[in-house]
Amino acid sequence: MPAEDRHVPAKASERLRRLLVVVPYLVQHPGTAIEEAASLFGLWPQDLVADLDLLFVSGLPPYGPGDLIDVDIHDGCIWVSMADYFARPLRLTRSEALSLYVRGTALATVPGLAEAPALSSALGKLAEGLGSDALGQLPDRVQAAEGGKAVEVLGELRRAAAERERVRIEYYAASGAETTEREIDPEEVFLAIGNWYVAAWDHRSDAERLFRADRIRSLEPTGTRFEPRGLEGAGRPLYSPGRDDVAVTLRLAPGARWVAEYYETTRELELDGGRLEVDLPAGRLEWVERLLLRLGADAEVVTPEGLKDRVRSLADVTRKRYG
Amino acid sequence: MHPLERLVNLVALLLEARTPLTFEQIRDKLAEGYEHRDPSSAKRMFERDKDVLRDIGVPIEVVSTDAWDVEQGYAIDKDRYYLPEIAFTPEEISALFVAARSGGDASAEDAVRKLLSGAEVGILAGLGGSGLGGAVEPNLSQAAEAVAGQRRVRFGYRTSKGESSERTVDAFGLAIRGAHWYLVGHDHDRDQIRSFRLSRIAGAIEALQGGSAPPDGFRAADHVQAGPWGPGEPQTSATVAFAPDVAWWAPNGALGAEVVGARPDGWVEIRVPWQPGESLAAWVLSFGPQAEAIDPHELRAEVLARLEVLGAG
Repeated sequence: MPAEDRHVPAKASERLRRLLVVVPYLVQHPGTAIEEAASLFGLWPQDLVADLDLLFVSGLPPYGPGDLIDVDIHDGCIWVSMADYFARPLRLTRSEALSLYVRGTALATVPGLAEAPALSSALGKLAEGLGSDALGQLPDRVQAAEGGKAVEVLGELRRAAAERERVRIEYYAASGAETTEREIDPEEVFLAIGNWYVAAWDHRSDAERLFRADRIRSLEPTGTRFEPRGLEGAGRPLYSPGRDDVAVTLRLAPGARWVAEYYETTRELELDGGRLEVDLPAGRLEWVERLLLRLGADAEVVTPEGLKDRVRSLADVTRKRYG
Repeated sequence: MHPLERLVNLVALLLEARTPLTFEQIRDKLAEGYEHRDPSSAKRMFERDKDVLRDIGVPIEVVSTDAWDVEQGYAIDKDRYYLPEIAFTPEEISALFVAARSGGDASAEDAVRKLLSGAEVGILAGLGGSGLGGAVEPNLSQAAEAVAGQRRVRFGYRTSKGESSERTVDAFGLAIRGAHWYLVGHDHDRDQIRSFRLSRIAGAIEALQGGSAPPDGFRAADHVQAGPWGPGEPQTSATVAFAPDVAWWAPNGALGAEVVGARPDGWVEIRVPWQPGESLAAWVLSFGPQAEAIDPHELRAEVLARLEVLGAG
């Protein structure tokens, strides 16, 4: 669905822009369903019909019946004819072409993505078809650095989400630093800060949960279908507040500032010397203890009380490994 | 007449015209479009319409219609208006659609919609949903523009250590590593090729006059490559053992890691590229008691020293 607010009427310029994109498709695909066209082009069906109502009185001079664009809408489908000059779309603007090219390059290099080969060949055709007018020097000068490893269960997970099939997984949860088995209803599979996540209903906790796909050790289909609950996917915050959350406040030395870029924070305060004070909301403390073990002298615990002791005892247990 | 109707008629008229049309001719032909106004306000209205069309990418040209440059005509260059035919397979189109939806970037979605008109019917029916997500970088389009046009740019930059300064850079290339985009170019203040993480650019990227071409054989990705624990080529390697619970995924976090084998106690030994001074010890410690640095000795010693700082007895 389109992102813009339903109640703000679009300006004529915006309506023209979308008409010049949607009309070529409708000319070339006679009988397209209103719903399908609206969803493809990110429009509300009512807006599309309103735009087509105006198109229907437009055309060429002298604007007699034979000069006007023919728009026929019946049984929920659209036919547009007498508009040969709108049969092909407008070129991509430079910023559209650049945006699509960089987004495509980013995704084409994600390890293990089924669409990657098709995406790479599409980008090649795009660069050739649009030429240097649109893309300038960009195609030769944008690359991905060597990526991580492919997520083994990704294909199966995306299939299960698309087919609404419940799956049984073995999962390592960093929050509690433990492996558990559970059944989940996977709804949305998406990328965030370089990792694949699945938003799912977790039958073990009977609640909505996010799982990192690369921490799913095994995945088995159950054959059971589920009704989607409309869980949010791409673009959602990776952390959702819970009742039992603990507010963790840390002071980070310059070498530990990456923590604020990597984890969700609820407050950041610049201190002297490039140090940063942050509030990290945490449902469980196990992952924070491990983070602090990693940061060592680069982080100082402000709150909660007792966290420092927990880190010390984790350091103790770890120390014992070394004899 | 509704403004949208007038704009559609204007585009249609200019696309069908064989020769450039003067404003008077346009006013005549568009009938109700501009005629009910006095000439000067009608002309202003037409100028606004022309700007609207240019804003959305309609290439309107102004050309002289007589040899003395007295009269000006308006035309749409059809070669520049119409998208050239590009034969995408259905898989390619849906892959582009998926990519366009992966960054919360409206102009990438607009771009792919323009490519849809030649697509097969029905193939796109399953493309609903909210997309795959991905890094949303506010400065990405400006950086791409700078690279495409080989421009010199200026921006405020904060290093990973929190130091801020103004940089002037000839944009050479863009690279993505993990979730992050980097602008790579010649840094005038340091007189070196440097990479800049877009998320650490404060404010907007300002385009300046000038720019320069990258050296022969330049690849942006080469300038953001790093060993697993920091910049530079690893010289040697280290062995780390992991508890069964984490051993199956831990090596994924270390570029170039190789499994040596499982021990009788179920722990798995892994060799990772490393050179002393890099932060491998910190990574090992992030696994708590579920990982142990085995060799070399310096690595074990560093882990132990770090544990002592945290108060381990």
